[in-house]
Amino acid sequence: MRAQSKITIAVMAAFVSVAVAGCGNAHDAPAGGGQGAAPSEKLGASSSVRDLMKARGLNEADVEAALKTYVPSGKMDEYYIFASGGQSGNIDVIGVPSMRMLKVIAVFTPESWQGWGYGGESEKVLAAGNQGAHAIRWADVHHPNLSETNGDYDGQFLFVNDKANARVAVVDLADFTTKQIVPNTLAASDHGGAFVTPNTDYIVETTQYPAPLGRGYAPLDQYKDKYRGLAMFWRFDRKKGRIDVAKSFGMELPPYTQDLADAGKLGSDGWAFINSFNTEMATGGTLDGKPPIESGASQNDMDYLHIINWKKAAELVDAGRAKTINGVKVLTMDVTGPEGVLSLVGEPKSPHGCDVTPDGKQVVVGGKLDTHTTLYDFAKMKKLIEEKKFEGKDAYGLPILAFKDAINGQVEIGLGPLHTVFGDHGDAYTSVFIESTVAKWSYLDLKKPVEKLKVQYNIGHILSAEGDTVSPDGKYVVAMNKMSMDRFLPVGPLFPQNFQLIDISGDKMRLLYDAPIGNAEPHYSQMIKADKLKPLKVYPPGTVPSTGDLDPNRVEGGKERIVRKGNKVEVFMTLIRSHFTPDQLEVNEGDEVTLHLTSLETAEDQTHGFTIDMYNVNLSLEPGKHENVTFKADMPGVYPFYCTEFCSALHLEMTGYMLVKPRGG
Amino acid sequence: MTARDGHVHLSVVSAKPAWDWARWLVVALGVGGATLFVLALFQRWWGIWLYAPQYPGGLRIEIALTGMSGDVKEIDLLNHYIGMGHLEDAAPLERRLAAYGVAAIVAVSIALILATGKRLNGLVAVPALAFPVVFLADSFYWMYSFGHDLNPRAPLKIGTFTPQLFGNGKIGQFETYAEPQLGFWLAVAGVALIVLAAVVRWRVCAHCGRASTCGLVCPKLMVLPEHEARRA
Repeated sequence: MRAQSKITIAVMAAFVSVAVAGCGNAHDAPAGGGQGAAPSEKLGASSSVRDLMKARGLNEADVEAALKTYVPSGKMDEYYIFASGGQSGNIDVIGVPSMRMLKVIAVFTPESWQGWGYGGESEKVLAAGNQGAHAIRWADVHHPNLSETNGDYDGQFLFVNDKANARVAVVDLADFTTKQIVPNTLAASDHGGAFVTPNTDYIVETTQYPAPLGRGYAPLDQYKDKYRGLAMFWRFDRKKGRIDVAKSFGMELPPYTQDLADAGKLGSDGWAFINSFNTEMATGGTLDGKPPIESGASQNDMDYLHIINWKKAAELVDAGRAKTINGVKVLTMDVTGPEGVLSLVGEPKSPHGCDVTPDGKQVVVGGKLDTHTTLYDFAKMKKLIEEKKFEGKDAYGLPILAFKDAINGQVEIGLGPLHTVFGDHGDAYTSVFIESTVAKWSYLDLKKPVEKLKVQYNIGHILSAEGDTVSPDGKYVVAMNKMSMDRFLPVGPLFPQNFQLIDISGDKMRLLYDAPIGNAEPHYSQMIKADKLKPLKVYPPGTVPSTGDLDPNRVEGGKERIVRKGNKVEVFMTLIRSHFTPDQLEVNEGDEVTLHLTSLETAEDQTHGFTIDMYNVNLSLEPGKHENVTFKADMPGVYPFYCTEFCSALHLEMTGYMLVKPRGG
Repeated sequence: MTARDGHVHLSVVSAKPAWDWARWLVVALGVGGATLFVLALFQRWWGIWLYAPQYPGGLRIEIALTGMSGDVKEIDLLNHYIGMGHLEDAAPLERRLAAYGVAAIVAVSIALILATGKRLNGLVAVPALAFPVVFLADSFYWMYSFGHDLNPRAPLKIGTFTPQLFGNGKIGQFETYAEPQLGFWLAVAGVALIVLAAVVRWRVCAHCGRASTCGLVCPKLMVLPEHEARRA
C-alpha cells in the first residue's frame, strides 16, 4: 500500500507541475521574462483542482481514479458489462469505466418500461418458459455468457440461466431483446450455466439441487437411488439464433450437488468441467435430530470435479446410446462411465469456481472452506482417462482419477477462494469471499507471490475484461461484492450490492470506483469490448422483436381500420408523432378485442408507449416495432389510452378513447 | 474568306477550309454540354440541412430532378405540426416530366448547334441557359407555396415563410443550411460548354464561305462536307 501511494503521489505531482508550468508560461510570455503575473493567477487551473480536492476531501489517488473513470458528456465507454440481474430475473448492462447503468434487458421477469410481459408479443416468449400449473414470472438469474467464435466473444448473443426454475434464455444483441426461454423439463434447479463451448455449438447447463430426472416424485430416503444431477447440452442454432431443443441432450450425473461449470478451449476444446459439493449426499432432517444440510454436506475432505468429454457424448447420442426421458435424450451413467465420457477427480472441500485458463491447459477450482486454488492439468487428466489409470470408482461406477496425478499444483490464496478470472501474461484474479479480497496470482508461475486488494465487502463473483476468452484484455477487473455495508447512502435494511471497478493494467491492482447495484443480487457477469457490438437503432417497419420477423398483420400508414366479425374486433392501428390512428375504439362488453399496432416512426429514439388502464395492457413501440395484443373487453366503461413515452411536444395529446358499451346498454 | 494575311482564299472542295477544326470543336462542346445535362439528371441538385438539439446528426433533404431523398419522411412528420403539406407531393408534374425535359433540352441544343443559320446564332445557348434557371425558379415557387399554404388547423402556428434556398436560415427550432449539389454544378458546367460552343460557332460562321448565302438554317449543317451540303 505504501509503495502504491508513493507512485500515486509521484504521478499527481507530475500532473500538477505540468499544469503549473503550462499555465505559468502562458502568463509569463507577454511579460517578457520579467516578474510575470501575480502568484494567484500563476497557479491557474491547478489551483482550482487543489481547491476542489480540499473542498471535497479527495487525495491524489482519488483524483487519479476519477481521471481514469470519468467519461465526459458525448464520449462513450470502452466496454459493456452484461451482469446477471439476480432475483430481478433480468440482465443489467453497464458501461466501463464509467460504471453507468445503460439498460436493463427484460428476460424472465415482466419489465414495464419495455412493455415486457404486459399483453404483447413478449407474452409468448415468457409463456414458453412456463412449466407446470403456474405462470413463472421471475427468475434467479445467475450466469450470463456471451457467444463465442474460436473462444473469443463475438458480440452476437447472450445466454443466461435461471437457477430457481432451471431455464435458459437467449438474448440477441442485435436489439438487446430476449428471443427464447427454454425450460429444462428434466431438472428442478440449475446453476452451472449458461456456459458456452468455444464456437457456441452448445450451451452447458448443469443442475444444482438433485431431484428425480423429469420432475417425478421420490421420497428423500430414496435420494441415492432416485435423485440425480444433470448436465444439459443445449444445441445452439446460430443461424436461427435459437436453441434447437430437439438436437440437445442431457447427461445423467450422480446426486452430488453440481455447482459451476466451464467448457474447455483450444487444446481442451470438446471437454467440459463441473465441480460439485455434498458428495456426502446429505439431505438434512433437522427436526429428526439429523445434521442440517450445511454441516452434513461438509464432512468429506474431498468432493468431485466432473470431467466430461462432450464431443464424444454427442457422438454417443447420435449413435443411439441415449435414453429418452420427458422427450429429452439423456446419456445415463452406465454408458458415460465405461465410455470414458464422464470421470471424476477429487477436489478440496466445498469447492467453488471452475474456470479454464485462457490457454485451455488448466482448470482452476477454488474452495469455500479451503485456502487454495487447485490447478488441474488437462493433459494429465486426459492421459489418465485414456490409459484408464483410475484410483477407484464412486458408488455409481464412475471412474475416479488420483488427485495428485491430475493436478499441477495448488496456490495458497487465503480464506474462501471462489471464482477466478484472467488477465493477460498469465495473471489470474480470484475472489476471496471470507477475507473480502481480490487475490492476483499467476497460473503460469505458481510460486509467484500472491498480491491482495481489499474489497468492500464479501466478494462473490469476479469478472475481467474479456476475462474468460482465449485472449483476456488485462485492463479491468470488477469485484462483485455481496455486501456494501458502509459504502453508500443508507436505503433501509436491504442494501445495494457493490460493484468495484479495479484497474489491472499496472503492476499493482488499483481500486477505481464503487457502483451500487440497487435492483437485486447479481452473480456472474462478463465484460466485452464495446466495438464488438453493432446494435440496431430502428427496426425494419412492422418487425416483431421477439421473433425478428415482419408481422403478417403489420399496418401501413393510410391502411388503418377496424374489422368486426361477430364479437371479434380487430383494430389495425398505427402510431406516429403525435397520434394513434384510429383514436376512437367502440366495442361491446364481451367482445374479444385484438389490437395490431405498428409504429410508423423511422427516426432514432422515437419510442411510443401504449397503455389501456384496468386491462393491464402496456406496450413499448420502438421505431418500426409491431405488437399484437388480445384481450376480452369484459369491463364496460370509458378507457382513455395514451402514449407513455414523452415522445414530442404534443405527447400529452397522443391519446384516444376505448369505449366498452355495457351489454344491453 | 479573308485570312489574317489579307489574301482572299476561294473555297475549293478538295482544299481544307480554314476554321474547319473549329466546326468539330463546336460539335464536341455541344455534345459535352448535353452529356453533362444527362448526367445531371441522375444526380442530386440541391441539399438542405436542418439542425435542432434533438437531431445531433441533423436532418437532410436532397433534391434531384426526379424526386427527393434523405430524411423526407421525418421532415414531413415534423411539418404536420405546422400544417405544411407533404414534401412528396411537391412538383409532381416536374418530377414526372424531368427525364423528357432533359431529353428535349439536349435535343434542341444539339439541333440548334448543328442547324441554326448565322442570323439565329444568338439563340443557340438559350434553352441550355434556361435549364438551371427554370429549376431554381421552380424550386423557389414550391418552397414559397409550401411555406405559404399552411393548414390553419395545425397544432402549431408559426406564420407563413419561405425556406432559404441559399445558405443559412431558420424555421422554428431548426437552423437550416442549403446549397447546390453536384447535379446543379454539372448543369452549370453543361451550360458553360454550350455557351462556349455558341461563341466558337459565331466565329466559325464569321469565317464560313457560305456566310453570304446563310439564312435561318445552316446549309452545311455545321460539319457536313461541301458536296453533301451542296446537294442539300
